[in-house]
Amino acid sequence: MFGRMKDAMTDAAETLRRAFAGLKVMEVAPEPFLPQCHGTVALAVEPRAGLEAPVTVCREMRLLREAVEGRALQPFQAELKAEAGWARWGAEAEVIRMTALEGGQAARVAVPPLPRKATVLGRVDPPSRPTSHRLSESLPQPSTRRLDPRLDQVTAEAGLESMLSLAVPIRSENIQHLPKGMWMRYTLQLVRGTGENVRNLEVLGLFRIPRKGVADLRHDPRLGRILVRLESSAIRSPRVPFILARRKDDGSLLSCFVEDP
Amino acid sequence: MADPIKLAYFMAVKEGASYLGGLLVTDTSGIPLDFRYTEPITPTRLQGILYGKSLEPHLKEEVIQKTLLKELKTPPDLFILSATELAGGWSGDAKYPVLAVQKSQESPLAKVGDAFRAGPRELLIQLSEGAAPMRVVFAASVDAMAQEQAVVKLLEAGYHMDLAEPLERVTAALQSLVVKDS
Repeated sequence: MFGRMKDAMTDAAETLRRAFAGLKVMEVAPEPFLPQCHGTVALAVEPRAGLEAPVTVCREMRLLREAVEGRALQPFQAELKAEAGWARWGAEAEVIRMTALEGGQAARVAVPPLPRKATVLGRVDPPSRPTSHRLSESLPQPSTRRLDPRLDQVTAEAGLESMLSLAVPIRSENIQHLPKGMWMRYTLQLVRGTGENVRNLEVLGLFRIPRKGVADLRHDPRLGRILVRLESSAIRSPRVPFILARRKDDGSLLSCFVEDP
Repeated sequence: MADPIKLAYFMAVKEGASYLGGLLVTDTSGIPLDFRYTEPITPTRLQGILYGKSLEPHLKEEVIQKTLLKELKTPPDLFILSATELAGGWSGDAKYPVLAVQKSQESPLAKVGDAFRAGPRELLIQLSEGAAPMRVVFAASVDAMAQEQAVVKLLEAGYHMDLAEPLERVTAALQSLVVKDS
């Protein structure tokens, strides 16, 4: 072992020797140390003003507007606390004694036997078999009836009599539109027919009514017309002018048929 | 001398379940010349079902009106209906001008005898002084020339009578006949 170490040391020495054997030595002039000089600022005296005299500043303390009640710290009070639980637990421990097991009454339970046949519940009996009936009778043949929906032909009746029972209004002709000569002729006939003074007469209207068959006549002053009730003879009677007037002194009515010129 | 103008007034009314109609022919004074009426027609329940809504127009136009017109010996110059009947669509005979007269609320025309055409089938005619003009509505079958001729006759008749009044008389007569029968 030592021999091997020695050989190794030898080899290492030889290796080092060979490695450094061919090295050239070069002389390198050492760089002279140059002292670097840094200037320093000379100390200067800076004049300063003298110390200022202390000034007394008078400050006024303002009172608090609202008094604040300071609560004094309460002094600590020692209180003795003791926990007696453990002691009570130890003292009041309850001793539970277990009762010894005793022998009970035993009963034999018999296991019911399984049913040999299952019973079906809710069974619905099938309906009875329907019996078919054959209807051999045919429906009766309906009989057709004819109903004529046409409305009956009506018959017209003549009802002129019933119509004549109703009053017929006849409007007065406009006297103002009559020729003056004709109106004077009518007025003359009115005076002759009634025998009344013309100044005492107020003409209510000139109407054309049947000469015959006027059963009733009434004056409707509101509409300026007369209501006439006619008879059947009035139908074929010619229409002639008829003047209705009122007497001024007593208000009585006068009438007169006049003739066309 | 020209024949006097004859005005025919037709009215059909329903009284209860019955229908009846009347036709009054007057002269230009409103004096009745002829009056015909039908007996009340009471359609059966089955007829009412079968005819439906056409029952009333059929009864009035085809049954009542034609029956009454057959009875007229001489045709009228004007055939006057109520405005309601005419508005329902008159489909009767067109041998004579068919029209409806109605009192209007219009302001009077300038003078008596004036006519104002308010529509192709509608005119206003002034029959009396100061009163509201009468509204005249013609059936669709009446042409313009026939309308003009009818207006002349209406003006002549309206001078003596109230043109709309006879329809009231026909209605009153029909109602009195119904009461008399019942």
